[in-house]
Amino acid sequence: MTRKQNSGQKLSRRQFLTGSAAMVGGALIAPGLVFASTPKKPKEIIVRAWGGAWGEALKAGVADGFTAATGIKVRLDFTEDNEIKPKIWAAVDQGRVPPIHVNWDTTTNATISALRGVTVDLSDLSNLKGLLPLAKPIGLKGYPLVNTYAYVYVCAYRPEAFPDGPPKSWNVLIDPKFKGRIALYDDGIGFTPVAVLVGGGTRKDIPNNMEPAWQFYRKLKKNKPLLGEDADFTNWFQNGEIDVACTISVNARAAKQKGIKVSWTVPKEGCKVDTDGLWVPKGLPPNEEYWAKQFVNHALTKEAQQKWCSMLGLPPVYPGIKPPPDLVGDVAYPTRPEDFKNLLRIPSKVLVENQPKWFAKFNEIFQG
Amino acid sequence: MSSDKPAFKYPLSWRILDHAENVAALWPRRWSPLTGYLLLLPALLLVFVLVIGLVYIFDYSLHELDLATYRLKDAFSLVNYHVALKSATYRTVVLRSLGASFIVTAITTVLAFPYAYVMVRARSSGTRKFLLISLFLPFFIGQVVRAYGWLIILGKEGLLNTLLASLGLPPIKLIYNYPAVVLGLVQYMLPFAVLLIAPAITAIGEEIELASESLGANWVKTFRHVVIPLAKPGLVGSAVVVFTLTLTDFAMPEILGGGTTDFIANSIYDGFFQLSNPGLGSALSMILVTLGSVFVTVLFSLAGTGTLVSRENVR
Amino acid sequence: MTGSRSKTAVLWSVVWFNLITLSLPTIIILGASFTSGNIVQFPPDGFSLKWYGKLWLLEDFKAAFLRTVYVSVICTLISIPSGTLAAIALARYRIRFRTALQVYLLLPFTIPLVVSGLGMMIIFGEIRILGQLWPVGVALCVINLPFMIWAVSATVNALDPDLENAAANCGAPPLQAFLTVTLPAVMPGVITGALLMFILAFNEFLVSLFLTDARIVTLPVSIYNSIRSVITPDLAAVSVVYIVIAFVAVWLLDRLVGLELFLRSK
Repeated sequence: MTRKQNSGQKLSRRQFLTGSAAMVGGALIAPGLVFASTPKKPKEIIVRAWGGAWGEALKAGVADGFTAATGIKVRLDFTEDNEIKPKIWAAVDQGRVPPIHVNWDTTTNATISALRGVTVDLSDLSNLKGLLPLAKPIGLKGYPLVNTYAYVYVCAYRPEAFPDGPPKSWNVLIDPKFKGRIALYDDGIGFTPVAVLVGGGTRKDIPNNMEPAWQFYRKLKKNKPLLGEDADFTNWFQNGEIDVACTISVNARAAKQKGIKVSWTVPKEGCKVDTDGLWVPKGLPPNEEYWAKQFVNHALTKEAQQKWCSMLGLPPVYPGIKPPPDLVGDVAYPTRPEDFKNLLRIPSKVLVENQPKWFAKFNEIFQG
Repeated sequence: MSSDKPAFKYPLSWRILDHAENVAALWPRRWSPLTGYLLLLPALLLVFVLVIGLVYIFDYSLHELDLATYRLKDAFSLVNYHVALKSATYRTVVLRSLGASFIVTAITTVLAFPYAYVMVRARSSGTRKFLLISLFLPFFIGQVVRAYGWLIILGKEGLLNTLLASLGLPPIKLIYNYPAVVLGLVQYMLPFAVLLIAPAITAIGEEIELASESLGANWVKTFRHVVIPLAKPGLVGSAVVVFTLTLTDFAMPEILGGGTTDFIANSIYDGFFQLSNPGLGSALSMILVTLGSVFVTVLFSLAGTGTLVSRENVR
Repeated sequence: MTGSRSKTAVLWSVVWFNLITLSLPTIIILGASFTSGNIVQFPPDGFSLKWYGKLWLLEDFKAAFLRTVYVSVICTLISIPSGTLAAIALARYRIRFRTALQVYLLLPFTIPLVVSGLGMMIIFGEIRILGQLWPVGVALCVINLPFMIWAVSATVNALDPDLENAAANCGAPPLQAFLTVTLPAVMPGVITGALLMFILAFNEFLVSLFLTDARIVTLPVSIYNSIRSVITPDLAAVSVVYIVIAFVAVWLLDRLVGLELFLRSK
């Protein structure tokens, strides 16, 4: 969609037109602006989000507070994170207004977009000061995105299916006893690096020798896993369709909060830990960009971080926030250095360069 | 004022028409052979949008994705076709779509033909109208809403599983599999098939059937040797439409297939939006266009063009 | 229908099977939309209109509905002149390469929808109109245009050319002959075509999926998006909107031109 680079002429003409239009418009409304301290408020801000428990947490924790403070409505758009990416890229390349104001994204995808230069720098946000180092994206200049919390892809299970205690190894996924009652993300996200270790490899094999993971996946495929997205895991646990899954703790906790018996653990091979973040695409009208940034700034306040992340049950980047009572000392809520010992943190550079290839390979194995 | 006789005036519509006629007369007489083309022009231009789109997609398909920048490289290459044709995944997807096209075409034709026949031959116009309305309603309701209806019927907590549970039977998995997609597609295609077959049956005089039966053939024989052969144009048209629409369908596999029964269109979508690889998605698009054209050409050369070309342009 | 008892039995059992298959989803959606419970289940948890009430309050739904009407109107307004003129030209004027042009005008049906949708997404992006609403209407007109041409062609072909000649012989200039003889004669076809174009645009999903985003989402796309997350009865109520519109369209079609038009052999 975006290979054509020679569209500069059209673009500059368009920019000239909008520029001159803005000058005319500016001249007309300038007197009014003298007294206005902030740019004109848009009717609404569109934030791409994940559905289910995730969307509810963002709405209650961040969006409602933002609307109360500014009067700007927030609309959540549940387009998939991978799908919105090429749409924003195309819009920025072609000088069109991007389809959303704020993208709630995995740090890996956000970094890919940042490297492509489609994200707005957030360095001037007032609430960045004092956040944990986790908030700062690695290997990027400034803040083309800001990380908002960490999370763990845990081994979630139904205790009733495991009378002898929690699963000790990820090998339960290929145990014929659980055939058809296991689940993974539909692109293998959160599990592929761990699968290298389960398949007999070491941390040093990532990313250059992924073969152990692919071999493990071929065995896993015979065990008929369900493949889905965040909200699916919650539904599957609720409907009693699965016994064990590799999923973010949030989804298992959402089922637990609805009264379903679900627990989670970190098996001996470890679990992947990662972060999510927020970013604002380039190409928005200046006033909308301003308010989109204000939305991100609001998400970094203590109140928003507290409510949003405690609803999700994840450790926020705002320092000193106490975990929700049910997660004190939980493996899914790592805060101290020793909590991270058995968690696998893949450098963002490795993920950026390899994750798309891993997705493709995963697809090839499971769709074939 | 009232004593003034108003000057005679032609009615407004006449005057407007005269002016319009004058404007039309600006089109020189010697250009009149071109009038037909002028009338065709808007439609030709509208369809031309698709031609340009196809050219773009063909162009994209010849450029490899640069994973460092996520842009297509400038150099020409056949890598995308290589990947698409070599990959076991895409082979499975293509075979699955083709298989579904054959199955859905067969089932739909078998179901649609009696419906069309009964509808055309119905003595009472009330019956005929009832059958027509039952056909048009789902046709006008659209694919997404109908797929949603099937989700409610076949789902885990759906109508059928609730019925099973009330009989004390365990629930069975009825959605997110191949049969569910085929069912959804058959239901989607039925109106198309019936509406394409019906005119062909109308064209068969009822007296021909009577003649056949008076010569001692029972109705099965009459169907086999008289009605079905004479209805061939309609059957060919219906088969072509059902086959190509199934081959290229997106919504049913997406909604009722649960992510594990992708058709080609779903793979194209994923190529563009999941993998952010428009080159690969475009190569798959070109493969789909080719497959569809090959099938239509083969069927037309075997069975004639049926009712589709030159007379009726129904989908 | 002539023939034996066995013929009637066999044919009608197939017909009834079809009728059930065709109408079951519609009936089930209708039923589910009137539940007073909070989830879709059977038998429904009591009768209420609460989901319709909720629907009425949903700004997003209303906006998506209005957008859908808007694109459908644009689609219909463009297709009426372009399709009618094309059909008349093909039937009444000396056109070289007629067959080739007919095949060309069938391209919207022969190019797979997913490819047409992507192609238009790319073009609209290149000319910077992607993300606006009106191009969606144009796109829906393009992909369904053969329906319009077909509907009008059916009536032009049925019109005796001698009528137009008679008008010309009586001194009617070409435009007048066209407006007073040809056009009224093809009116039923135009109405059928326009109705088809409107209702198909109102339902269209795949091409709209490529051409809309959160800012301009239309109803079929937003239904699809909701199906992918959580299925609640409000979705059934939205779907009933479609069912009602389909009823109105069928009724109109029958009143204006008669459904039996579709059974004619030529």
